[in-house]
Amino acid sequence: MTEENKVPPAAGDAPAGEAAPGSDAPKEGAAAPAARAEGVGPRREGGPRREGGPGGRGGGPRREGGGPGGARKGKRQFFRKRKVCKFCVERLDSIDYKRPEMLREFVQERGKILPRRITGTCSRHQRWLHTAIQRARNIALLPFGAGL
Amino acid sequence: MEHRTYDLIFICRPATPEEEVTKVVSTLEGATAEKGGKIEKVEKWGTRKLAYRVAKHREGQYVYLALSSTQGEMIKELERRLKVNDAVIKYLTVRTDEELKRQRKLTAKRERRLARRPRKAAAAPAAPGAEQGGASA
Repeated sequence: MTEENKVPPAAGDAPAGEAAPGSDAPKEGAAAPAARAEGVGPRREGGPRREGGPGGRGGGPRREGGGPGGARKGKRQFFRKRKVCKFCVERLDSIDYKRPEMLREFVQERGKILPRRITGTCSRHQRWLHTAIQRARNIALLPFGAGL
Repeated sequence: MEHRTYDLIFICRPATPEEEVTKVVSTLEGATAEKGGKIEKVEKWGTRKLAYRVAKHREGQYVYLALSSTQGEMIKELERRLKVNDAVIKYLTVRTDEELKRQRKLTAKRERRLARRPRKAAAAPAAPGAEQGGASA
């Protein structure tokens, strides 16, 4: 993350998380427009600096899993409802790409594939699912993305 | 040589008449017969809405074929014919014999285990023995 690159010149050994806002602010004010000039700029000045921990990439607006994450202290809960893999429970031996209605449960409305931690799928079946979804996309049974 | 099976799906333009579609299928049949292959199944799924625009169309007629062959070059020939044909806007070939083999192996393994320990089958998701590589982590 660019955060870490910018912090050392300002505050030396400050950790990525709770960097001292006081000492950083003047330097960041000068460096921010010049250095980054991207959408990351305005978000850095305030609160989300704390999220520089393990969940650090773009910690502010997170689309899914935002609810049960609750008060994010830089650590996310995995498997928030202890879901089980649907394919393991139903003992399906293969995932058919020709049946998009089944695949649609694992795909967002925009067409993006849902991550394992949201759907609770096990890794093996997530790989199979990925292949099946890609094939279905190639044959226009599922979209690649919204607005196409 | 090994017997290979394939799934071939192609999409025709929505306004294509029925006999045109049949003509495409028979062309493919001829090409597979030449190369020593066989068509196992032909399914016409009819007109379906496409998930995105293909060649400026929003709908298409889907046709599904299941093929088997001993030669790999057959697929190249079939795809060449489909590409040349104007009515066909999209096609996809998937090789399925490896996957079917794995699927059968898993089913057979599970049935063997169930036959050996019929009582434990009820408590399945938590059963040890690493069914399918450890499902519930």
